[in-house]
Amino acid sequence: MSPRYRLEILALVAILCFCGLFLFTSSIMGDAEYAGSDTVGSSKVAELAGLSEEDFQPLVPQWEPPSGEIESCLFALQAAIGGIFVGWVFGYWKGQKNRSI
Amino acid sequence: MHIMEGFLPLHWAVIWWILAIPCLIFGIIQLKKILASDREALPLLGVTGGFIFILSSLKLPSVTGSCSHPTGTGLSAVCFGPWITSVICAIVLLFQSLFLAHGGLSVLGANIVSMGIVGPLAGWGIYRALRDTGVNMYFTVFLACAIADLCTYIVTSLELALAYPAEVGGFLSSFALFMGIFAITQIPLAIVEGIVLALVFKYIVQLRPEILIRLNVFPDEKIRAAGSDA
Repeated sequence: MSPRYRLEILALVAILCFCGLFLFTSSIMGDAEYAGSDTVGSSKVAELAGLSEEDFQPLVPQWEPPSGEIESCLFALQAAIGGIFVGWVFGYWKGQKNRSI
Repeated sequence: MHIMEGFLPLHWAVIWWILAIPCLIFGIIQLKKILASDREALPLLGVTGGFIFILSSLKLPSVTGSCSHPTGTGLSAVCFGPWITSVICAIVLLFQSLFLAHGGLSVLGANIVSMGIVGPLAGWGIYRALRDTGVNMYFTVFLACAIADLCTYIVTSLELALAYPAEVGGFLSSFALFMGIFAITQIPLAIVEGIVLALVFKYIVQLRPEILIRLNVFPDEKIRAAGSDA
């Protein structure tokens, strides 16, 4: 294994293992809902407090995305903002480096 | 790791806010100082902050049959320390509480403490401990990122357990319960996050080693040695 790309190969293997693990667990856990752990945690809180989840009212009024589609749109937007920063800076550095050679 | 709006009693929400605010103020002061003294720090801040934006929006499935997201805070903690990281986290968490109903304004303090302060602080602690030893630089970054991620979720469990001790077994039994929900789910995610961010760090070392040397992220020799065999 070339030491030059050792970390890249390791990252690829880790991501593939992660995907494999997901496929394996989702095939043996037929009833898994893959809800967010936030949601699972919140229902556990309701259970511990002996209340229903609807009894937990926001202390500060809060806007909620009207649907899952809008929510995923906003999450994608968040990731895109991050991606723009990262891509812009790596491009800027690459340009600086090429010019200095 | 978000505690949802309304799910912390008012007094706990206030306590976490009180803990978070001094750290944020300190972070803002440090941030101003570093940006004033080094123009090249801003692009690096863009990269590390960018990864917090990206990774904290990815909700990945895990072994427990639920989904959770990585935090991405370790890289920023290694490059800039935990306090500046907490400022970036506060921005991300504010975005998520205003537009995504993930977290909320009253619980923002608690969420900043877990994702923005204790997580990065733990990752930074590991990094400081290993920085001047013979341990491989990328392995150090991997460990710092994975620990920062995992600790975030441990603290979330702690925050919920403190507010909601179980009737039988009290604090400890509900802490174990929340750890099962948050921390176990997080272990595979933390490992993958650590490796990916170590890879990103490698690219930073290859492209702009001078910045890392100037910010004294790792000792000169380590960065130069890593840059030259690339």
